[in-house]
Amino acid sequence: MWRAALKSLLARKLRLALTALAIVLGVGFVAGTLVLTDTALSAFDDLFGDIFSKTDVVVQAENAFQDIAAGGGGGGGQERNPIPEEVLADVQALPGVAAANGSVGGFAQVIDPQTDEVISGGGAPTIGSSWDPDVTPFDLVGEPPRAEDEVVIDADTVEEAGLEVGDEVRIVTPLGVDPYRLTGVIALPSATTIGGATVASFELETAQRLFDREGTYDQIYVVAEDGASEVSVAQRIQQSLPEGFQAITATDAAAEQTEQVREGLGFLRTALLVFAFVALFVGAFVIFNTFNIVVTQRTRELGLLRALGASRGQVFTSVVIESLVIGLLGSALGLAAGIGLAVLLKQGLELIGLELPPTPLAIRPTTIIAALVVGTVVTVVASVFPARRASHVAPIEALREGTVAPTASLRRRSMVGGLLTAAGVAAIAAGLFGDVPQPAAIVGLGASFTFIGVAVLSPFVARPLATAIGAPARRLGMTGRLGQENAKRNPRRTASTAAALMIGLGLVVFVSVFMTTLKASASDTLDETLRADFILSSSGFQPFSPGIAGALAERDEFAAVSPLRQAGVKIGAGLTFIAGVDETTIDDVISVPMEAGTTAELAEPGTILIHKGPARARGLEIGDELPVRFARTGTEQLRIVGIYTDNRLLGDYTISLDEYEANVAEQLDYLVFVRRADGVSLERARASLEEVAGEFPNVEINDQAQFKEEQDRLIDQVFGIVLVLLVLSVIISAFGIANTLALSIYERVRELGLLRAVGMQRAQIGWMIVIEAVIVSLLGAVLGIGIGLLFGWAMQQALSDLGVSRLAVPWGLLVVFAVIAALLGLVASIAPAIRASRIKVLEAISYE
Amino acid sequence: MVTVATRPAAARAVDLRKVYGAGAAAVEALRGVSVEFAAGEFTAIMGASGSGKSTLLHIMAGLDKPTSGTVWIGDMDLTHLKDRDLTDIRRDRVGFVFQAFNLVPTLTAAENITLPTDIAGRDVDGPRFDEVVDTIGLRDRLTHLPSELSGGQQQRVAAARALVSRPEIVFADEPTGNLDSRASQELLTFLKAAVTDHGQTIVMVTHDPTGAAYADRIVFLADGRIVDEMRDPTAEKVLDRMKLLEA
Repeated sequence: MWRAALKSLLARKLRLALTALAIVLGVGFVAGTLVLTDTALSAFDDLFGDIFSKTDVVVQAENAFQDIAAGGGGGGGQERNPIPEEVLADVQALPGVAAANGSVGGFAQVIDPQTDEVISGGGAPTIGSSWDPDVTPFDLVGEPPRAEDEVVIDADTVEEAGLEVGDEVRIVTPLGVDPYRLTGVIALPSATTIGGATVASFELETAQRLFDREGTYDQIYVVAEDGASEVSVAQRIQQSLPEGFQAITATDAAAEQTEQVREGLGFLRTALLVFAFVALFVGAFVIFNTFNIVVTQRTRELGLLRALGASRGQVFTSVVIESLVIGLLGSALGLAAGIGLAVLLKQGLELIGLELPPTPLAIRPTTIIAALVVGTVVTVVASVFPARRASHVAPIEALREGTVAPTASLRRRSMVGGLLTAAGVAAIAAGLFGDVPQPAAIVGLGASFTFIGVAVLSPFVARPLATAIGAPARRLGMTGRLGQENAKRNPRRTASTAAALMIGLGLVVFVSVFMTTLKASASDTLDETLRADFILSSSGFQPFSPGIAGALAERDEFAAVSPLRQAGVKIGAGLTFIAGVDETTIDDVISVPMEAGTTAELAEPGTILIHKGPARARGLEIGDELPVRFARTGTEQLRIVGIYTDNRLLGDYTISLDEYEANVAEQLDYLVFVRRADGVSLERARASLEEVAGEFPNVEINDQAQFKEEQDRLIDQVFGIVLVLLVLSVIISAFGIANTLALSIYERVRELGLLRAVGMQRAQIGWMIVIEAVIVSLLGAVLGIGIGLLFGWAMQQALSDLGVSRLAVPWGLLVVFAVIAALLGLVASIAPAIRASRIKVLEAISYE
Repeated sequence: MVTVATRPAAARAVDLRKVYGAGAAAVEALRGVSVEFAAGEFTAIMGASGSGKSTLLHIMAGLDKPTSGTVWIGDMDLTHLKDRDLTDIRRDRVGFVFQAFNLVPTLTAAENITLPTDIAGRDVDGPRFDEVVDTIGLRDRLTHLPSELSGGQQQRVAAARALVSRPEIVFADEPTGNLDSRASQELLTFLKAAVTDHGQTIVMVTHDPTGAAYADRIVFLADGRIVDEMRDPTAEKVLDRMKLLEA
């Protein structure tokens, strides 16, 4: 059977290539994701190893958890209590300690003198720190910063800004923008880059002032004496430390940092893998379809095998072996493609300034195994049904003229399809509306079932839909007429070819409907709730100095200035954001729609407002205590004094600024809402804002309309990324269309020959194939748009309680998608159309 | 041997040669055939397998190109025409009936009959259509798909398609090859009637003496050459001649 299977494969190389391609792309996506994230992780692992290369022990305040979210792209990891200065002397005095530096950090953004813009590599951190002479991992060219107006900056940033030692450079810190003199250039000895991050180091006292750490340190970095072990020195230091502080080895500190990156990358990896699996899912449809057609075409051959004594099992096995070979081959190529993709992506990231530290590609054995197994399993599973059909070919088929389209019971098909669709829809409903563990996974599973179910049912609608969609084609005369008839002649084949496109397009439509809906309701909400005239926000999620809000509050032009801060906390198991607002001014700038309680009640210490979403989910009411874990202070029991119904600006949890200051280390504003005083024109208000905030290049002044645009832009960005990730699935389905057409043409050689003989021109033959393809892809588009709308509606319904109040359908965009689908069908049909038009009339009509 | 038709030629070939393959593997299918097919005449081409009769028909019909020599349909020299022009000639001036696979499976009988006219985007000649349909006796089957017709019915539909647009010449390649004797008889009677009643020109390749007897004239081919011809044949005469030729 192995030999029969292999021979049949080699006999049809083109089909083999096209089929394998469906799996190559999906596996490539999986492998690319794994290699890229592994590479990034090992790069950061190396980077943190380098950063702690001179340090043996790190002293810092204990914290409740590693806060990866707070502080945004700022200094990061500062959610700890500061260390009093006198601890340093105690540590330095301990035996085994060769040197110890107190260190502080925050954000510092270097302004490119050529452009007056902040240098920021694609959102990578902009780190500001003290210069720690004994423990710094950097090599310094020039002089260290000694005076309060001196700074050293990393080599990449210096190069990008076109700076030279001795130049003056403006730097944004939490205190504002100030000029500094560049005294030296720093670089890691091993790596040429620090992941796109910019680093500016100041003399210690200056750094303490800039980052609001006067008299304290964030960390103390300790160098052990030669021969003293990290662990024993750390233990000795630990014993000398006051309560609430810890001494950990540099190895552990590096591992802790790596762990944070691992969590972040883990999220990215999961997100990418979801799209990779969508691509594989579509690929499975293409493979299923191809095998089905091939089994039909080989009915006589299979009948002959059976007549010659092959058992059903053997026929089944031969088809499965064929798919196994294709799966392995496709997966191996996909693995190679994925590695190539990772290299390309890595270079792409470098182009936008998010350079990874240089490190070889991390191709782990698990990646290789995962890619091969996933691709092969998907291929084999997709071939099981066709293989089963092949095994049911009766020996008598060998003698029958022509191929007979199999007619499995329609009732069974409608039952199976109906059940799958119902199960899928039920799972989606359960995931969206019910209280189930892992709702996202259940919704995903439900969506897959729905897609399969609709695909199983689609042959029922394929004929009428193709008739309707193809109606305009009939006007094109016989060519169009025949194209339409061909699309209708085998509803199963047409439907399952279209189904592959339906999946990708259905998701694209779903996402666009959902995004449009989000934008519409965001816009609605802002119209209703936003009372502020201006909103100050930071570019690139970089929180800014509360000094700005303070200065604005002093001015007469403004009736209310209300800042919003944001930190990561743990409530239950998950990391989430908590907002800090000024309860005395918040109502002047936002009308927070309250279901119960008032914002003013936040004035009482130990209180919290929560959104009704989590309130419902956790069964919380006014007066209940909610345990909130802060990184710096640990768990606090906060009493719920209000429940609000809109979480667009505040998020799910809101506390007073006082509460925030008591529990969060870094006090920086995320947003500042500003409302002008009566009689002050918008122009005057803006001019006043510019005076205060204008010198901070990282602060954007937006009026209501601009703020809305900004919010839309964020949604659009996410939308764009998701679209790009789904494109691959759509492309795979185009291969499916090409594959089906090529196989169909092979089946119809005689008919095409006849048409040529009785006077059809080559071009007409070609157009006939193109029209068929366009009809099939439009069929897929119609099904996809239908399913996408359904999913979008379900999602909106699920979120309607949370403020997504109305479904907004981007009709124009849907038309564009349909046109793109038609074009895709056209492109996919080019090669088959050319092949069909070139068939030799005589060979086609000559008899065996 | 040059055969001369008694009436003006609807199609003719001059010194046709056809070689398949090259070098040692080359096969000479036609070795210098010159022949004319008179307008309004039913000509049968006979010969053993490999005699070159189908090749001759294909080249005459513009489905294949000769290695050398010239082919004429009416006053049109096909030899140097491009594929596009040849296709137009097949569509507008020539009719075909093949041995099998004559019909497009997705089209009804009526649509198959008007296929070349539809491909050309021309209006169907209604009265002519009715006339042909009535002659083949398939009026009640017009809306049926080919798969719903018997083999004989399918061939009659194919013949109707070949005749409906009154082409200058109809080429039939073993049209009865897959039919039983009764269906064969019906089809041949129909073709014969087209010639006698409407002055249609038909050239038919066959190896069936009974079928060939329907023709006005038979041309015998052997080894790529015309070796004989016969006028007003009967099945017995044809059989005798064939025995003679094979001897």
